[in-house]
Amino acid sequence: MVTAVQLLVNGLALGAAYALVALGFVLVLNATSAVNFAQGDLVMAGGLLAVALAPLLPSVLPVPGLLLLPLVLVLMAGLGLLLALVAYLPLRRRPPVSVFISTIAVGIILQNGAAVLFGPEPRVAPPLLGDGVARVAGVAVPEQSLAIMAVAALLIGTQHLVFSHTQLGRRLRATAQDPEMARACGVPVTRMILLTFAIGAACAGAAGLLLANRYFMTPTAGGDLILKAYIAVTVGGWGSVPGAVVGALLIALFEVGVSWLLSQPVAQGALYGVLLVILALRPQGLFGEAVRRRA
Amino acid sequence: MRRGVVSLVVGLMTVAGAARAEGLSFPVLVPLTGFLSLEGTSQRNGALLALKEAPAGLIGAAETIDTGTSPEAAVTALERAAGGGPVGAVAASMLGTQMLAMLPLAAELKVPLVTVSGTAAITEQNNPWVFRFFPGDAVTKTAHARYVVEELKKSRPAVIYQTTAYGQSGKTHLDSAFRALNVTPVFQEGVDPTAKDLLPVLTRALATNPDVLVLHLHAGPTALLLKQAATSGLSIPVVAGSAMHQPSTAALLDPAELKGVCAETAASPVSGGSPAVGAFTASYRAAFGKEPDAFALGQYDGMMMVLAAVKAGAKTAEDVRKALSVGRHDGLAMRYASDGKGNMAHSAVIVCYDGKSRIPTLAKRYDNVTGVVK
Repeated sequence: MVTAVQLLVNGLALGAAYALVALGFVLVLNATSAVNFAQGDLVMAGGLLAVALAPLLPSVLPVPGLLLLPLVLVLMAGLGLLLALVAYLPLRRRPPVSVFISTIAVGIILQNGAAVLFGPEPRVAPPLLGDGVARVAGVAVPEQSLAIMAVAALLIGTQHLVFSHTQLGRRLRATAQDPEMARACGVPVTRMILLTFAIGAACAGAAGLLLANRYFMTPTAGGDLILKAYIAVTVGGWGSVPGAVVGALLIALFEVGVSWLLSQPVAQGALYGVLLVILALRPQGLFGEAVRRRA
Repeated sequence: MRRGVVSLVVGLMTVAGAARAEGLSFPVLVPLTGFLSLEGTSQRNGALLALKEAPAGLIGAAETIDTGTSPEAAVTALERAAGGGPVGAVAASMLGTQMLAMLPLAAELKVPLVTVSGTAAITEQNNPWVFRFFPGDAVTKTAHARYVVEELKKSRPAVIYQTTAYGQSGKTHLDSAFRALNVTPVFQEGVDPTAKDLLPVLTRALATNPDVLVLHLHAGPTALLLKQAATSGLSIPVVAGSAMHQPSTAALLDPAELKGVCAETAASPVSGGSPAVGAFTASYRAAFGKEPDAFALGQYDGMMMVLAAVKAGAKTAEDVRKALSVGRHDGLAMRYASDGKGNMAHSAVIVCYDGKSRIPTLAKRYDNVTGVVK
């Protein structure tokens, strides 16, 4: 029983980090109907940014990760803007495949740029609050795991509030649902798209900072993360924000659970097997498709 | 650090003209990008340091080409390097698939390939132009298993390995080595390098009641598993694969998380052992701003044996090949001699961490494991 709870805690922490990756991915997807294949590499960039900034903070500060988080969010939002300006806006009227290719190109540039700047070694970022381990009824709960879940919940909740209860959120949703109609109604669509890229990249930065402490970060780490985000969004429902979050949690719990019951290679294979079954039996995903134009 | 690398390369290129006059160049064709870039960078650094420290008048051109991870890129790099004039020897990629692709071309061009690749197949092609200055799994895994059984007196190992070619090869040789010692692992399971949470496999391993954990994982997964083992309060010893000895792996963990952890490797330059190794480590730090590992030292030793052959009178690539085939070389890591197939390294060491420092200490040497070195 203790083992099962322990694995559940680990799975939830991993799922929360996946959820942040998927969230940024689905936001851009909704706003542009284009798949941002650079999202995984943005997570990597956020993680390595935290690694690079950490030594600049005075060593006496008690919670370097928490202090780094807003800085990483802001800088990554800037990188998201740059991504939109370079790889999306010039191609927005071209076929969607142009944007796929341009985001793949940006991802490769980020990977190689990180390899040149940081070297190929795995790096570790500072913990958000501390690297201690709390023990509750025999279950070891690393502080960083709790921090990952808390930050993910906070960011996802904040985003939900903004999108549901503010004028900005309504404009962002209008842009996502029908950009032409939104423009006709006076919504500054281009600005909304830029803002969406910024929020998506900021989410990636937060995920990177959190993942880089518990699971380390290398310049090539983005490839696996974008795959997980893609599966989460497919399982949850193409374009559905709640679906992406639930999909990410399900993926992580599936990985951890099947790895425990059978083996990790079986879990890897079974994950894609289940994905095929979902695509065959419920192609709209668990929460239904918010975006009709599946990429 | 980068400035150090740049000035080293510029320095080598400056003397390249003199080397052209000697007629031989020594290209460095290694993976600097992709999944093997960490080890490839160490390889490059070791080769460049050897060329920099070579006896006066022998320094050849040190053109460095990134081979990435594709066999085609490696072949193209070899063709390009060979097209620039007579080549004495090539510091060649440690990626097995790239080596296998380059071998026929090396035989055609008659160029010795000096590598630290661990892939067993590269020296099983009857190709006289390949020389491996890093012990293969047959050597390291024998040392790995012998330390577990003979020194730690353990008989119920749980083996966790990577599902990659590297991991499968290590697992196969661990199987043989444990069998030779009359020990049967109580648990064996592979994990993918992208797995983020290794607690499930650790839990499954511990459920079989092992008395030692034997790892054969890449650097990141090794650190990840050890971190999760420390969180879980693991109480049995861990003997890891060579990835653990890399200083960049230890840097991912708190020293306390390393307590009770040992690892096999060809060498551990940061652990010292002799004044010459200490001088190598100091030079490496000064040139590259990072700690050297066994790959760097192996490639360094290999290129130093090549340069020693040139110093002794080798004028052509064929002369260098002959010298490597029949000669012996007392390198910093070990004594090197070919087994007739190009396997030059026949020793391994076990290093252990005390829980207070990230610098391991030498626990055991296993010399001449294959019986080749006379």
